[in-house]
Amino acid sequence: MDWSLVLPELIVAGAGIGVLLLDLFLAPEKRRLTGYASLAGLAAAMVASLWLAVAKVDWSLAAGADGSPVAAGFTALGGMIAVDAFSVLLKLLFLAIGLVVVLLGVDFAEKRKLPVGEFFALLLFAVLGMMLMAGSRDLILIYLGLETTAISSYALAGLLKDDLKSGEAALKYFLTGALASALILFGMALVFGGTGSTNVTALLGAGVTTGQLGGAGNPIALTGLVLLVAGFGFKLAAVPFHFWAPDAYEGAPTPVTAFFSVGPKAAAFAVVLRIFGPVLALGGSAGGAGAGGLAGAGVLGVLFAVLAVVTMTVGNLTALAQKNIKRMLAYSSIAHAGYLLVGLAVATPRGFAAMVYYLLAYAAMNLGAFAVVIWLNNRGTGDEVSDYAGLGRRAPVAALAMLVCFLSLIGIPPMAGFFGKFYLFAAAVEANMAWLAVVMVINSAISVGYYYGVVRQMYLAGDAAPAEDHGGAETGAPVPAEATSTVKGTPLVGLALGLAVVAVFALGFLFEPLARLARLAAGGL
Amino acid sequence: MINPSYAVILGVLLFSVGLYGALRSTNAVRILMCIELMLNAVNLVFVAFSRLRPEAMIAGQVFAIFIMAVAAAEAAVGLAIILQIVRQRGVVYMDKINLLKG
Repeated sequence: MDWSLVLPELIVAGAGIGVLLLDLFLAPEKRRLTGYASLAGLAAAMVASLWLAVAKVDWSLAAGADGSPVAAGFTALGGMIAVDAFSVLLKLLFLAIGLVVVLLGVDFAEKRKLPVGEFFALLLFAVLGMMLMAGSRDLILIYLGLETTAISSYALAGLLKDDLKSGEAALKYFLTGALASALILFGMALVFGGTGSTNVTALLGAGVTTGQLGGAGNPIALTGLVLLVAGFGFKLAAVPFHFWAPDAYEGAPTPVTAFFSVGPKAAAFAVVLRIFGPVLALGGSAGGAGAGGLAGAGVLGVLFAVLAVVTMTVGNLTALAQKNIKRMLAYSSIAHAGYLLVGLAVATPRGFAAMVYYLLAYAAMNLGAFAVVIWLNNRGTGDEVSDYAGLGRRAPVAALAMLVCFLSLIGIPPMAGFFGKFYLFAAAVEANMAWLAVVMVINSAISVGYYYGVVRQMYLAGDAAPAEDHGGAETGAPVPAEATSTVKGTPLVGLALGLAVVAVFALGFLFEPLARLARLAAGGL
Repeated sequence: MINPSYAVILGVLLFSVGLYGALRSTNAVRILMCIELMLNAVNLVFVAFSRLRPEAMIAGQVFAIFIMAVAAAEAAVGLAIILQIVRQRGVVYMDKINLLKG
């Protein structure tokens, strides 16, 4: 076989092992180097992915053609790995997420005395698992990717060894995550039993779309798919399955929280798109006018629509009551998972393309918001919303960046978040599901409430702490003596923040070409 | 020979027992054990289905072996996390581990 097709994965795996070994031979005060080694590994994997995108993926297909079926790209390992537009695009996203999180983590790890080498190695392995999830068409490999990400994530959540909250976050994340994995596995077993294959493409010909629960068609595979919805509901933190997320997000080290809120979530969405996308689209094009009652795809479509509505509403309403910024961002990320689920409920190629674009936009703006939290945390600001009082005067740059990211998360025009929501909105209206779009708009209006709460604290409230004004004119942040002694500055976090803010604008301005790219990617599912 | 369908039914029952236990227990170790039971029930279902589906026999059995390996890794990490909690606070009961809420 052609091993170059899995070159990015091989590089990330090699980098992860390399970082572990490097950590072993470095003196404790030089362990920062493992962070730079991880950056190099991720950058090399990005180059390899770009090379794959140019050399191996056929982009000519369906260019401009509306909704026409697109042939698959290359497959490797007996059809287990798919190298197509979708997988390459998402792999680049995951590598970019990994890169930003490493940048966010280097200073934080040093300041909070995290085991640096383990931190970066686990992060690289988690990214590897995410890449496998996005690039696979086979249930076995999807499961292995899922667990590679999940097991690394459990350990990452508990990395603050002396912190009670970190341990609790890891335990809660582990128990719900393992339960979700078991549900997903049982779903996979039933899908395997119903279709006689572990390849997800077998679902298309298995009569799932015409089948009814407990009736004709393929009830076993359909039951399996419903279980998969529940299992992936946990991984996506969709609402009836979301209870673990705020606890895990609040307790985990903040760079890890930033990673959780975009990385494993985006990867789970990629898998859901891979497994359910073709099935849902087939059911949608066959027309809802099935032979009486809801056919299989109809059941799944309704399930996703209900999940989307409940997830965004509960996420936004609960976020209103939060005092801790990490917890608030956790509920905000639950709400955004709800917006993303709209694309699945719509079940058209345009809906899937909108999801792909929204994943890119969401990653940029959420990482930006977390970058500000980490920047401030490294300089001694707490994680409560009230700690942000008067930030507009103390740290104008950070406050402005936070404002930009929040505006994008709300969905204000020039930013990427607006285009993402607009695209989802358009897809919903086009598929005669305007009510879903209306729910989205109402929810966006609710979300203004809690984002504005932070902005009000930053710009309108008086200073929180007895903030003695140090010099620091460029950064403006107060620099407590204790923080200066351990971490002089946080240029890496600043770099990550800059990248995220630039991406928030760039993704918005490049909406046209990116939407076309997303369209191509979603067409190849 | 025993009909493999019975093995599927047994697997479903075991999975249900595990799920019930995982949702009802407050002891973290017991929850972990219930999850392991669920995983092994899935193994049984996979192997039985690969018997019922001769065209995909290998895939189902290979899947079961992968699940065993992953379950071992998962249990190792899970027990390490539980050990850390016990060292920190000396309890394994989920209702006593409640710093994070809201």
